[in-house]
Amino acid sequence: MASTACFMIVSKNDIPIYEAEVGTAPKKEDAAHQHQFILHAALDIVQDLAWTTSAMFLKSIDRFNDLVVSVYVTAGHILHIIHTRLMLLHDSRNDDGIKSFFQEVHELYIKILLNPLYLPGSRITSSHFDTKVRALARKYL
Amino acid sequence: MEPDVSIETSCMIRVAVLPIGSIAIPLFRDYTSMLVRHYTVSLSSISSFYTEHQKSPFAHQPWDSGSLRFKYMVGGSPASPWEDFQSNRKILAVIGICHCPSSPDLHSVMDQFVTACKSYSSSVVQRCFAFCPGDSQLEDESFKGSNLILFPPADRQTQEFHLQTMMQDIAASLLMEFEKSVLQTESGGTILKTPLDSQASLSSEEVIKAKKRRLGRAQKTIGDYCLLAGSPVDANAHYSTSMELARLTGDFFWFAGAMEGSVCALLIDQMGQRDQVLDDEVKYRYNNVILHYRKSFIQDNAQRVSPLSFELEATLKLARYLCRKELAKEVVDLLTTAADGAKSLIDASDRLILYIEIARLFGTLGYHRKAAFFSRQVAQLYLQQENRLAAISSMQVLAMTTQAYRVQSRASTDHALYQESGQNHADGGKAHHNWIVSLFESQWSSIQMVVLREILLSAVRGGDPLTAWSAAARLLRSYYPLITPAGQNGLAGALSNASERLPSGTRCADPALPFIRLHSFPLHSSQQDIVKRNHGRDDWWAGDAPSGPFIYTPFSKGEPSQSSKQELIWVVGEAVQVFVELANPCGFDLKVDSIYLSVNSGNFDAFPISVSLPPNSSKVISLSGIPTEVGSLKIPGCIVHCFGVITEHYFKDVDNLLVGAAQGLVLSDPFRCCGSPKLKNVTVPNISVVAPLPLLISRVVGSDGAIILYEGEIREVQISVANAGTVPIEQAHISLSGKNQDSIQSIAYETLKSSLPLKPGAEVRIPVTLKAWQLGFSDPDAAPNKNISGSTGRQVKDGCSPLLLIHYAGPLTYSGDASTNGSVPPGRRLVVPLNIYVLQGLSLVNARLLSMEIPAHVGENHSKVQVETSSAEGSPRTDRFMKIDPYRGSWGLRFLELELSNITDVVFEIGVSVNMEDSNNEENPEYDYPKTRIDRDYTARVLIPLEHFKLPVLDGSFLVKESQMNGTTSRRSSFSEKSSKAELNASIKNLISKIKVRWQSGRNNSGELNIKDAIQAALQSSMMDVLLPDPLTFGFRCGNNTLQDFAELNLDEESDIQGARKGSVRTHDMTPIEVLVRNNTKEMVKVSLSITCRDIAGENCVEGDKATVLWAGVLSGVTLEVPPLKEYRHLFSLYFLVPGEYTLLAAAVIDDANEMLRARARANSCDESIFCRGPPFHIRVDGTM
Repeated sequence: MASTACFMIVSKNDIPIYEAEVGTAPKKEDAAHQHQFILHAALDIVQDLAWTTSAMFLKSIDRFNDLVVSVYVTAGHILHIIHTRLMLLHDSRNDDGIKSFFQEVHELYIKILLNPLYLPGSRITSSHFDTKVRALARKYL
Repeated sequence: MEPDVSIETSCMIRVAVLPIGSIAIPLFRDYTSMLVRHYTVSLSSISSFYTEHQKSPFAHQPWDSGSLRFKYMVGGSPASPWEDFQSNRKILAVIGICHCPSSPDLHSVMDQFVTACKSYSSSVVQRCFAFCPGDSQLEDESFKGSNLILFPPADRQTQEFHLQTMMQDIAASLLMEFEKSVLQTESGGTILKTPLDSQASLSSEEVIKAKKRRLGRAQKTIGDYCLLAGSPVDANAHYSTSMELARLTGDFFWFAGAMEGSVCALLIDQMGQRDQVLDDEVKYRYNNVILHYRKSFIQDNAQRVSPLSFELEATLKLARYLCRKELAKEVVDLLTTAADGAKSLIDASDRLILYIEIARLFGTLGYHRKAAFFSRQVAQLYLQQENRLAAISSMQVLAMTTQAYRVQSRASTDHALYQESGQNHADGGKAHHNWIVSLFESQWSSIQMVVLREILLSAVRGGDPLTAWSAAARLLRSYYPLITPAGQNGLAGALSNASERLPSGTRCADPALPFIRLHSFPLHSSQQDIVKRNHGRDDWWAGDAPSGPFIYTPFSKGEPSQSSKQELIWVVGEAVQVFVELANPCGFDLKVDSIYLSVNSGNFDAFPISVSLPPNSSKVISLSGIPTEVGSLKIPGCIVHCFGVITEHYFKDVDNLLVGAAQGLVLSDPFRCCGSPKLKNVTVPNISVVAPLPLLISRVVGSDGAIILYEGEIREVQISVANAGTVPIEQAHISLSGKNQDSIQSIAYETLKSSLPLKPGAEVRIPVTLKAWQLGFSDPDAAPNKNISGSTGRQVKDGCSPLLLIHYAGPLTYSGDASTNGSVPPGRRLVVPLNIYVLQGLSLVNARLLSMEIPAHVGENHSKVQVETSSAEGSPRTDRFMKIDPYRGSWGLRFLELELSNITDVVFEIGVSVNMEDSNNEENPEYDYPKTRIDRDYTARVLIPLEHFKLPVLDGSFLVKESQMNGTTSRRSSFSEKSSKAELNASIKNLISKIKVRWQSGRNNSGELNIKDAIQAALQSSMMDVLLPDPLTFGFRCGNNTLQDFAELNLDEESDIQGARKGSVRTHDMTPIEVLVRNNTKEMVKVSLSITCRDIAGENCVEGDKATVLWAGVLSGVTLEVPPLKEYRHLFSLYFLVPGEYTLLAAAVIDDANEMLRARARANSCDESIFCRGPPFHIRVDGTM
């Protein structure tokens, strides 16, 4: 069954630093844009919700039609320096898989952050990261 | 569904407001705005208009605190099929608005009004308000008592009061009508139906069901009227009854409706006071309402009609009621649920309204991105309707989203913020980074592009070219790296199309292409440098320069280190230039129709230019202008006329963009992708414009900028300086700078000084004497040039030429301007580079020292020579050939031979002059020799006789040092060696400086050969011989002359020995001859003199077997002592037997020679005797008669 999934990493000041369509559904440009619009809108919800809970994984915080937004907020959001949100738009209900996906991607992201040449807040252009994220998406989603 | 619903909607009386007759739209709006202010009319104020015809059904009407609420439907609205269900949906009153001056016939107005009212069958009160009636219309009594109400012309306040009264009247009428309706409903008869009830199948079952439900529905309707009449208590009572009945009959839809009404009644009753309990109650009841609406869903007619819209409306009503920050989570849930319902809505316009409402509620909640998201959904729904008005709506809705998506037009942003940002970004890297990041907040490029594209699309469809232009410009400027070249072309086309439909000269806040950044601010050209005047100092320009030997002194006043603080001074009326770099990173040719500097302060005239930029290219252009007024000047950017629209491009924007690109936040750097090199951020300096200053303009008279000279050429050039300003020059000072300053031999400072003050337009010529310097032999390009094309001038490297610095200034105070609070207007500096190109002239091939040995004649008569010599001392003899006096001889005479080659293409003439005294009387050289001509490409030799240089005395001190330098005797310390060397060099230099080799070429080229080095090299080895006399000089004389003559001879040099006399020596005659030995030292010398005589074959003819000369006196071994600087005369006689040429030779052996003599003779050991030899003297012996 074709699934839709759009994954984004949003850095501080709401700048998207990574985006990937990781679903198996055939790609359509309009849909991809729509996914980003939904994720962008969901930031409003995340911004409030992140302060009400200590959990990093915020499951199904927003939805539009049959697409659900789940978010993984990194621990840095208190510091406001590397306040990063990993956001996934999905239509599957596989919560455990999504959680594992987020955890693993978070580890990858930390590795990127540790790179001294990476300027926090700038775009992630590493193709290695991209490959890994897509592999994780195939594995868990 | 209806827009803008809230819980309180249920208690609002709908009034249609219609324009009647011909009325201008603005006027209609104006009247309407007066009307809609009366959205509540308190019950207490209408009591005077109210007459109770029968007992009021509204028993609990709060006459003192209650009010009626109105909802004005401007332009009217179609009747709703749900009017029976919710009475507030009925249009209960109609108000016509008529402007009498534009529709004079009141009868036709009345007719129109009546016609209009016909479509509002539910309306119970109709009034037509006629504003501004004329006198005749006022007098018309026929409308008394009709619905037409005339508002006599009056001031606004009176009219408003009049209107209020009319509204109170209407309210009272409505109230009375409501009473009637309630009574009518109570009495029964009318069947209340909704579209939900199936009409087609009037089966018996249905009819029975409807009858059962009728009572409950009637109660709900009465409750509705109670609410409209402003009596919540009554309404509540009726609603309760209705709910009971509806529950019993399973009429869920009406149950929900009644409950909704009851909540409204509750809220009205609470009179706007809210607390937690009320909120919970409302929430609870509304959730029930929503639940029951959902329950009332009937599968049968779901295709045709559905209560879903009521469910959603109820959801939105609750959400609006709860819409507060602290309840955000609940509201979001409600709205998300409502959004889910959109799919099931049948009517597209319902969906539109739903999304609009959701967006508005999210916006109220502060969730702007959510609001933007739903706004975009609205816009898309509008776009699906293929008509122009919908497209315009879509465009307007999208325009509202731009802020959330950060693609807003610059017209809508606060520009002050734009300018301010980056003022203090120098503090700290992290803060700086944060600031940069904040500039690019929410850069979701792909969705931004989509939004802009949709705006463009809707603007094109809606026929708004300016918005289309602006959207296309933003799209192209911000996202060109993400757009394919074809897409970029398309956008360019869209820009052109939009501009065609715009009037020319349209301005747009959003810049399109090109990208413009500040390239550099050329400081003043060296011609116009402005120098701060240091008042009170004579050298007023020197104030700014750091004093002391250090470029940076830690003690100097801390100058602001920020380069952005640099000041720039422009002068009123003098054109200035600013370099900007344009980049076109797109794949099409960009034609910038005009571009010029934008200056807000209004004291600058900018000159537009037009540029065209090929694809993916950048270009540095200079923009110029003229400051027009004194004051400060700010250049925030450029005004660009491109794609038919005028836009302003700010430098700050591009700077920010470039910084973002450097930080990896932006997609691409437009300049780098055009191949332009990375440039340091240039900030706009503080520019202040000052009052006109004098302006000097210089030119070298008679040359095209360059002064071409041959090596060593001396020429006087005229430098003309003119005051091109409007202020006289009162102070001026010339100084020299740069390399080869010594090539300027003289400047006529006085000429400039005497011409001050230099009036505007005045010109003065300053003569400057130049002497071309020597081309360096080490120059790499000189050597090959010499062989291949010697005549071509060598390119002089930059900075070789000297500079004339002219500091000048106008009067000390600004003319007639008292506002300058005593500051001194700055002065200026004019740099006149003397572009001297030195061509290789004559080149020295070789210089060597020659000695010439011509024996002297021994003669009697020497007075003539003496006269000549003495006259030579005083007067110049310019054209004198070098004559060798046969009686003086030139034994040991030395010549400096210079071999010169002329590799130029002109003819040179060489003249040598020797200046004996070190006076600077250049024009009267002591000795002047005839000129030598050297043709082009020829080599010639010039002889310089070194005859006048001998010192009269063999000075010991000099010689001792000399000898030590040669290493023959003991070494001294290096210090004394050095000093002696220096002394020697000084004397050599002294000698050399006396020799001047001048050349002349053509009519006006003349100069001097710089051959000092060559002479020095040639003379170095034999310096001693040239400079120093021999210790002894010898001379011969024959005849019976007086001895005094001899003594008085000025013994200059070697040639002073005037042994020879003109006179005949005969054979067989005793010839008395005297030999003169002169001691040139300062000590007594003891010598043993011997004289020999040789015949022409060189045979000694005094001694030996075949002696042909007889002699008397002593010839050999004459021991004599010569006192210092005196001569000794030794007499003898010769008797020649054979006529012919004889040579007399004198030689002496110095006994007990001192060290000095030995050194002079370069003797190796001290016991070696010093042998001195005189030059040969010829004597001619004639035969006997």
